[in-house]
This record gives sequence, structure tokens and C-alpha cells, in this order.
Amino acid sequence: MLDAKHGGATVASVRDLKVHFQSKRGVVHAVDGVSFDIRDGETLGLVGETGCGKSVTGRSFLRLLPVPPGILAGGSVMFNAHAVCTSCEGTGCETCEGTGRKASQDRSVNLLGIPSEDMRRIRGDRIAMIFQDPGKALNPTLPVGAQIAEVFLQHRTDELIALAGLPADTVGAVRRFASQSPRFGDGWLLSLPGVRAQRRRVEEALATMVAGALAETQVPNPAKLMARYPHELSGGMRQRVMIAQALACNPDLLIADEPTTALDVTVEARILELIRNLQQRRKTSVLYISHDLSLVRRISDRVAVMYAGRIVEIGTTAEVFANPRHPYTRGLMAAVPGADTPRGKLAAIRGTVPELVDPAAACRFCGRCPYETGACRNNDPFLEAITPSHLVACFIDHPAPSGERPSYDRATA
Amino acid sequence: MTDVPHSRVDAEGMTADTAFRVRMRRLFGVLQGLASNPATVIGLVIIALMLAMAIFAPWILEPNSPDPYQMPRDWGAVRKPPGTPGHLLGTTNEGGDVLYGVIWGSRTSLQLSLMVVGSTMIVGTIIGSVAGLVGGWVDEVLMRIVDVFLSIPELIFALAIAAVLGPSFGNIIFALAVVLWVKYARIMRAQVLQIKQNDYVDAARVIGDSRVNIYLRDILPNAVTPVTVQATLDMGNVVLIGATLSFIGLSEAGIAEWGVLVSEGQAGIASGRWWASTFPGLMIFLWALSFNLVGDGLRDALDPRTEGR
Repeated sequence: MLDAKHGGATVASVRDLKVHFQSKRGVVHAVDGVSFDIRDGETLGLVGETGCGKSVTGRSFLRLLPVPPGILAGGSVMFNAHAVCTSCEGTGCETCEGTGRKASQDRSVNLLGIPSEDMRRIRGDRIAMIFQDPGKALNPTLPVGAQIAEVFLQHRTDELIALAGLPADTVGAVRRFASQSPRFGDGWLLSLPGVRAQRRRVEEALATMVAGALAETQVPNPAKLMARYPHELSGGMRQRVMIAQALACNPDLLIADEPTTALDVTVEARILELIRNLQQRRKTSVLYISHDLSLVRRISDRVAVMYAGRIVEIGTTAEVFANPRHPYTRGLMAAVPGADTPRGKLAAIRGTVPELVDPAAACRFCGRCPYETGACRNNDPFLEAITPSHLVACFIDHPAPSGERPSYDRATA
Repeated sequence: MTDVPHSRVDAEGMTADTAFRVRMRRLFGVLQGLASNPATVIGLVIIALMLAMAIFAPWILEPNSPDPYQMPRDWGAVRKPPGTPGHLLGTTNEGGDVLYGVIWGSRTSLQLSLMVVGSTMIVGTIIGSVAGLVGGWVDEVLMRIVDVFLSIPELIFALAIAAVLGPSFGNIIFALAVVLWVKYARIMRAQVLQIKQNDYVDAARVIGDSRVNIYLRDILPNAVTPVTVQATLDMGNVVLIGATLSFIGLSEAGIAEWGVLVSEGQAGIASGRWWASTFPGLMIFLWALSFNLVGDGLRDALDPRTEGR
């Protein structure tokens, strides 16, 4: 499974992740034993239809699940934060692609098990997220600049104080101001003449950092944009603000949950290009969650296809698109209309996603699969390699413990 | 240092001055929204006149000594009609000057409404926020208590409390405060539960914000609108209920309060002495009406989504 280009380092590895939801009809196995790695600097596309568990998987990285009714039923999400590159000690070499930093096993933590205070330090700093609808993900009562500033106040207090030209051992109200942890009476303290001047310098340093973060997203006149409220901006501009906020602290991993779904196609193209550029410059790993196959094909290094709470196929983008092995992946690709698709004829996968309440020990695609056999109905396939980098969970390529193997040569339905 | 390259952009936009200007722009937007609604403007004008009357009461009419909130008694001029020299709006059966009661009664009403609305808003907001944020059994217990309070009609409940504590204006304030906080708790809880669902709260968690910060910056500012509107409406309603309680004799007799005055004058209405009840009654009506008009206007103007349209 090693890929030479990325030196094999993984920034995060999900192992047997299980997220269940308590519902009136029973326990819904929304994510049911998902395992995959995200390698250092790569974009992993996670595709699947609505309700297959891809968003829940993405949100698990940041423990953003509503508990209750969500239940973390098992598994782990190991996260290897970046550290100074061991082979060049930060000067930049081939293994770290010149950045001087790479994912480090030494700092490996299980995101699902650490205390919430540790989680809070990772959020926004080492792992960031871009949401689907930027209109809903920005606080309508605050100017966008203040919302980006929050990231710096939470994670970059020392830099802020340094940039303001204040001594590093600055304590008291000014430091509390720069870390957004005011105490009762700070408002009065900060209005004292000497302290007030220091606060002003911190504010100016903050404004410079925010303007810098916004300038990264190629917005015209970032300084002016900062004072705007979200409702005064277009969808594309809001998403740029979200991206500026997400990338402000140069995270090691970015979770992008359908970041362009709410945007029109021209804006989508520019936002994608922006994410791609920033990612390549900073070697950030991206987990790109989408239902849009053609989009994922364009931007991902590797693709994971999810179906009914499981990953059914994962491999490099070239492999998966050139040689899709799972019937579901094939169905998805056949369903994408092309220029030569006759008018009025759209291919669809028959049936609907099964209910995930107490699933039986069978292939989840049974009932929709044109190739299913008795083996599929009695055994639960798991991911197995067909090439070192291409894994499929289907008996078409792997022997079933019992029964007749399905085959692409013969449709049974 | 951060890895973010800082482009050379001037720091305008975020300094305190600009933040102030932005805030003023918003306030201006809200005021504009209020000004564009004629009913609201009428309400605001009436409130302004009432407030002026309350503030300048000592200069308009010499305060009664020793207690200015006690009606002065002119036993030489009882049951005088409006227009009598020295008693512009007439006098009551007991020689109380109706004009004095009307003007000094505005101070009493202001005191009543500010104290009741202020205390209920704070208590209700805190309890509602705790219920909405913590959830679980805490929410369950608090909301069942609120249910008990809501199941008894406001007026009857306040009347019962005030009656048990004995007739005094202070007890009316206390009784109303005990009864009315539940509305704010309900509104606040509903707001918190709804706002908690928003992506921007998740987004704030995603950037590593602390819970206190998320509450203060993301939840509370987005929740205040309905609370503010309710408070404005209550400013009027409280005086209405307070006057009702005073009318049936739950505050000290003889204080300069509109409800007491209406009660004092009601016996004379049948004999044609309409003035002693009418003028204070009109004040109660105007007070309740104006705050209701402004409350409605505020509801429309405070909605950030309609701002600037």
C-alpha cells in the first residue's frame, strides 16, 4: 500500500470506525467498520450518495457528532500531526518536499480518545474543516474579520503578541485579550491608558494576520472585506472566508465536506482551484467529501467509494476510474451522463439504499446488484487488495467463504 | 511565527474605531427600520413623552412631602371637575389631584416595568440558556418547573402571590417578577436549541473555540432578538397587570399609581364624575399601546436578514 511519491507517511488513519445512531426504529449503523489512511499531502476523495455515512466519517475526525443520538460504537482515528522533518531537520529535503515538516508517528493521538481540551487545541490548528453551506457556517452577528480573528486568538496568541511588538512574557489583561479568555474587570483594565495602547497594537497585529489570511484566498481588498457581515457577501466570497478561516493556522489536515455544493459551477471551479493551490503550496492533506464523481476525479489523488456505511472500493484515482471493480462503483460511473448520452435516458442504479437498522451479515449491495449470487447474500465481503493500492469489497474479485462467486460475465438479475 | 505570509495590507477594518463605526451602521439600520413604520414612530413618540413626563415630574408639579409618591390631599376641594384652578384635571372623592396622580404615576409605572422586566429578563435568560445548553435531565427539570408556572394564568398567579404577601406596591413588583421570568426562559431555551444546530456553532467548535466563547459570541447575540422584543412588549403588559392588581386593592391606598387612581375614581363614574378614572385609565392604555407598537416594530427591524433591504 506504500506510495513512493508520498514517502508512505500517513497523516491520519481510520481503523474500523463505527458510528451508530439511536432512532425510534432501532440502532442505525451509519458508519459500520470504515478503515482508510490519509497520506501526507494527498487529497483523498470520499464519494457516495446521500446518507451513506461520508459526512459522519468526516465529522468524526473533529468529534463533531451529535451525542446523543450518535454513538461512537468503536474504532479509532489516529492522527499524526506534523513535526519537523527528521531527515533534514527543517531545512527542506525530498522526503518532506521542501517544507521541512512531515507527519510524525511520535505525535500520534487517537482523536476519538483524547480529552476534550486536547481536542480543542487540535481543532482549527492542526485539523480544520470547510462546511457545505458557507451561508450557514458563518455567524450572522459578527463581521467576517472577527470570525477569522477567532482562530488566531485561540491558537496563535504568542505570535500575535510578538507581531504586536510586545515582550513575549506579556501577562495579564493584554495576554488574556490576545487569547480571548477575558476575566471580569478586563474591560476596565484594557481601557487604562498604557494598557489601551498595548491592546491597540494587538488589535492591529490581529488585523494584519486576518488580512494576510484573507489575501491568501485572492480576495480583492481584504482589509475592507474584514468589516463586512456574512449577509453582505456573495456565496463565493463567503466560502473564501471559510477557507481563509480553515487554512489560517496552516492545518495538517483539511476536511472539506462538499464545499462547493452550494455554489454555482463557475465559482465552484475557482474555489476548487484555490483549495488545490493552497494545498499544494502548504502540503496540507485534504479529505474531500463529495457526491460528485467527475469533481472528485479532477482533484483527488486517491478515491474511496462509500456505500451504506462501508467503504466498498478504494484506490488511486487512475485505478478506480480506469478499472472500477465494485458493481456499485460501476453503477455510479454509468449513471454519470456524458455528452453522448441520448436525450431522456439517464442510467440509474435500481432500488434504494437499504435501511441500516441492524444490517444482516450479507453484502450491503444485495438487492441492487445485478451480479449477486447466494454467496453475496450469506457472506459479508470485506476490503481486500487486488493491486497493492487498489482494494475492493466484493466477491467478484475474491473467493467467498461459501457459495457461488458472482461474475461480470453473467448478470443474474 | 505563523506560516501565514502577511501581505502588506493596512490594519484599517479591524481597529476599534472601525468596529465602532460598523456597530453604528447596524444601529442606524435598526433605527431606519423602526422609522419606516408609522405605527412604531407613533409608539416611540408616546414613549418619549411618557419618559419625559416621568423624568421631569418634580419640575412639572411640586413633589408632595414627605413622600412624593403619596397623593397630596386637598380636603377643601373634593370632587372638582377638570379645569378647576390648581387642579387642572379635577380632584377625586378624597381631594386627590388627578393631574398629580397622572404625572407622578408615570414614575411609579416606569419603576414597576423596569424592575420587573429587568429582573425577569436576566433570570429567564440564564435559566433558559442553561436548559438549552446543558440539556438532558437539567433541561427536563427546569422546563417542567416552567410548565408549572405557565399552567397558572399570569394575572391569577400574581394576584395570589401579592395577596399572600399583603397589600404593597413592592409586593406587586415581586409577584410579577416571580410570575413572568418563565416566558424568557422558554424563549431563550428555544433559541439556544435552535442556534446550537447551526453550522456556525459547529464551525466555531471546529476552530477550537471554548464553550464560553461559543455561547457569548455565537449563541447569545443570535438569541437576543426575540428576548428584546418580548421585553419591550412586557414593558407595557407589566403596567397593565400591575394596574389591575392595584385597582383591586393590592397596593397601598393613596399612592400615586394609575391603577389606584382608577379605583379611587370608579365610585364617582355613575354620578357623572368621569375624570378621576378616565385620565389615569387613558395613561395605562397609552403606555401599554405604545410599548406594544414599538415591540412589534422592533421585531421587524431587528431581523438581521431584512436589514438593508
